[in-house]
Amino acid sequence: MDPQSVPGERVETDKTKTAPPFHSCKLPPVESDAYLELSGVRKTFPGVVANDDVDLTVRRGEIHGLLGENGAGKSTLMNVLYGLYDRDAGTITLDGEPYDPESPADAIASGVGMVHQHFMLIPRLTVAENVVLGDRERASGVRADDGPLGALADVPFLGGVLDALTLDMGPPVGRIRELTAEYGLDVPPEAPVWDLTVGERQRVEILKALFRDVELLVLDEPTAVLAPDDAERLFETLETLADSGITILFITHKLEEVTRLTDRVTVLRDGQRIDTVETDSVTEDDLARLMVGRDVLFDVDRPPAEIGDPVLEATGLETEDERGFEVLSGVDLSVRAGQVVGIAGVSGNGQVDLAESLVGVRRPSAGAVSVGGRDLTGQGPRAFLEAGVSYVPEDRLEDATAPDLSVMHNLMLKSYRGDSGFGRLDYDAAAERAERLVDEFDVRGVRDVRKTPAGDLSGGNLQKLVLARELSRDPDVLVAHQPTRGVDVGAVEFLREAILDQRAEGTGVVLLSENLDEVFALSDRILVLSDGEIVAETTPEEADRGTVGLWMGGAVDDPAVAASDEPAPTAEGRTDD
Amino acid sequence: MIGGYDIEVSARERVPRWINYGTPVFTVVAALVVGGFALVALGVNPVAAYGTMFVNTLTTPFGVTEVLLRSVPLVLTGLAVYLPLRAGLWNIGAEGQLYLGAIAGTWFALNVGGPSLVVVPVMLVGAGVAGGLWALVPGLLRARRGVNEIIVSLMLTFVGVEFAGYLVRGPMKGGQGNFPVSETLPTAAQLPQLGGLFPALERVHVGVFVAILAAVAIRYLLRSTKTGYEVTVTGSNADAAEGSGIDVDRVYVLVFVLAGVLAGMAGAIEIAGIQGRLRPNFSPGYGFTAIPIALLGRRGALRVFLAGLFFAVLVVGGSSMELAFSIPAAIVEVIQALVILFLITAEFFKRYRISIERDEREPPAPESGAAGGD
Repeated sequence: MDPQSVPGERVETDKTKTAPPFHSCKLPPVESDAYLELSGVRKTFPGVVANDDVDLTVRRGEIHGLLGENGAGKSTLMNVLYGLYDRDAGTITLDGEPYDPESPADAIASGVGMVHQHFMLIPRLTVAENVVLGDRERASGVRADDGPLGALADVPFLGGVLDALTLDMGPPVGRIRELTAEYGLDVPPEAPVWDLTVGERQRVEILKALFRDVELLVLDEPTAVLAPDDAERLFETLETLADSGITILFITHKLEEVTRLTDRVTVLRDGQRIDTVETDSVTEDDLARLMVGRDVLFDVDRPPAEIGDPVLEATGLETEDERGFEVLSGVDLSVRAGQVVGIAGVSGNGQVDLAESLVGVRRPSAGAVSVGGRDLTGQGPRAFLEAGVSYVPEDRLEDATAPDLSVMHNLMLKSYRGDSGFGRLDYDAAAERAERLVDEFDVRGVRDVRKTPAGDLSGGNLQKLVLARELSRDPDVLVAHQPTRGVDVGAVEFLREAILDQRAEGTGVVLLSENLDEVFALSDRILVLSDGEIVAETTPEEADRGTVGLWMGGAVDDPAVAASDEPAPTAEGRTDD
Repeated sequence: MIGGYDIEVSARERVPRWINYGTPVFTVVAALVVGGFALVALGVNPVAAYGTMFVNTLTTPFGVTEVLLRSVPLVLTGLAVYLPLRAGLWNIGAEGQLYLGAIAGTWFALNVGGPSLVVVPVMLVGAGVAGGLWALVPGLLRARRGVNEIIVSLMLTFVGVEFAGYLVRGPMKGGQGNFPVSETLPTAAQLPQLGGLFPALERVHVGVFVAILAAVAIRYLLRSTKTGYEVTVTGSNADAAEGSGIDVDRVYVLVFVLAGVLAGMAGAIEIAGIQGRLRPNFSPGYGFTAIPIALLGRRGALRVFLAGLFFAVLVVGGSSMELAFSIPAAIVEVIQALVILFLITAEFFKRYRISIERDEREPPAPESGAAGGD
């Protein structure tokens, strides 16, 4: 089943490395020009190990990629580096010196700058004002070298007052012009930020860092918000920066960006460093395996499907985000009773829009959705609910639960309407039902269903609670988005089996996941979603995970070829009816 | 690190029960203690002053009567803030809704003839409708257009107060002389008093029962009905509510209209039970005092009732303290404000635990990751 057996073995050997290495005997001499070195860095949150013994060495002047799935611990690691989180263990050295930032200000002072995924700019201010924010120059005439008046600045309190009350934009604007010319950043210093495009705003963020003389620039998924042209331009800028000696740490989950841009890449998975490799020595295929692969498939028993009639059909779904950019561009989907359709894809490629469109939470700008043959296009969540659609959203705390209400309150969310008259709720019956579901789905940490707030449960148990609620309705359709993300291993198996049990009951399931193991273990059909489109279709039997991983990374040159050639007409095939 | 001590603030995973239940008591005690400093600064013995404030008020028929009468508008407007709060909205405009109720109540009382049994209900219902319509505006704008309900309800308050001022100088002006007041309400509009039941409290009118009834009704609505469940879920997580098919817009409109009804009735009760006629600026800010009342009692409608009673004690006790020690009654406002400040402080202590320890050589290991995983 697995034609690329060589990279497959790679994964095997890599896995053995995840046991924490001894720090003392780690560094080969080649890495003596290390600029940044993390060793054994560990960061935990209650119930979650976000970073487990991570080692990372970044050489001076290189572009170093940090690759991993969402939730792999990339952002946590960078927040540790930027002084936003305290690490629990491990050491960091920067340029040979111990480095312990307590705040972003510390980090910047040590020469570490960060460009966040979401810009930290004030739209009403100009580019120059944004750049100098928090780091202003005192007005001329009262600077320390300005004679009698300047001497005032040495008086401790007065100096602070002068800093706060005076501002001279002359020198910074000159400096910004120099920087923009030197690195081709090309933004007018006097322009107000609200007037800039997204790409230009990102350049302002980079300028902010350069203005403070950073030597290490960290970019957190910088292309997530960019159009392809802007992304290419960003890459050129980063290459210029690297040529001039600035070290760059580039966080991403997109494979082609790693191969396009980086010199070396470190792969994180489940909070652990899997490997660090020279980018030239690996293919995107290898990287996909490193990023998403696990050694063993979860051994869930998936009996042959007893496929029924189509229960959920979507045609030509299109959605736009709030800025008017197209997110989904014409997705067709058909799910039959007793069938699991896996939607594989790296998140951010339209999964949320697709899931929400299928359950009525989002109204697509074009296209149609029907459930059990009934057209529900344009209807709200209630209509979908009543048509027998259950939904497990990706963000269970934000979208699926009322965290400060009790377990009982949360378990009755989809069934409280019931049939008892006069709007009175039977809380005794609801509590009884809640206790039964808590038992049946093995939700742990519930002391009293009426009192324990859902928000007190751990991630896995909260997810069991959501699944209990959604499955206990005996739905005709289940849309599950990342149902096992952030869930401990025991719960993963339980949740997957619950989904398969539901399939055996004749429910049609849409499973959206980045986790290829999950998609392969549960799905009868696999669709690959990339950039708002279904770019390929296959079955777990026909394809291997490496190929699907490549498609997920957008490596389908000709979608039509991939979709029709590779998997060929499959057993249950597309239902083009 | 301060002076060799390491102060660590870490997030609590759950709130200890004693903090949850004790908060209102701590808050009140702390406000009184700090308010005591103000009394000392004025040269008054705080123990004697508080003695006058509470003991005199709660042990004399006059004091109890005054407290009960004052508590009616405070409880009703307190509920009018509390109910939208349970849906996650701030009704800062209970004062305006109260004025609209007072206007409508006065109009009905003056223009509907008949026995008390007809006039009083018509007056109360009319006042409720007027208050409800006034509150419908911020509710609808929030639901349909996402306009901030705080600003709309607050601004409408000024409109409502000035509207009442205009009416008593113009269309509804009555009585002799040039005073800006309406006609005096007819006897049929006067609220029945409890003299028959409790002779000592003869001036207490049926408005007290309206307040009790309202608190019980709101409690029933929130705790036993499907609508109340929808309100609670919306208040906890509006996105999840929406995704579960709850009509969040409907919830928003509903809580605001009900709030307006409660505040509107409070206005009519105040006019018919105390003032006897509509005057400009007749309310000493009941609808604003309602905000700390709703906050103090935010864990249940019956607690709102108790908080309303407590604030009534503060107000009534404050004026007897003012008389006995000739100090400004503003001290009561200071204490009210302190209650709010300490409530906010208590919120912090609910969420975070503070530990102070001597700084050893090794930095202490973080107890449990604070505030992480966001």
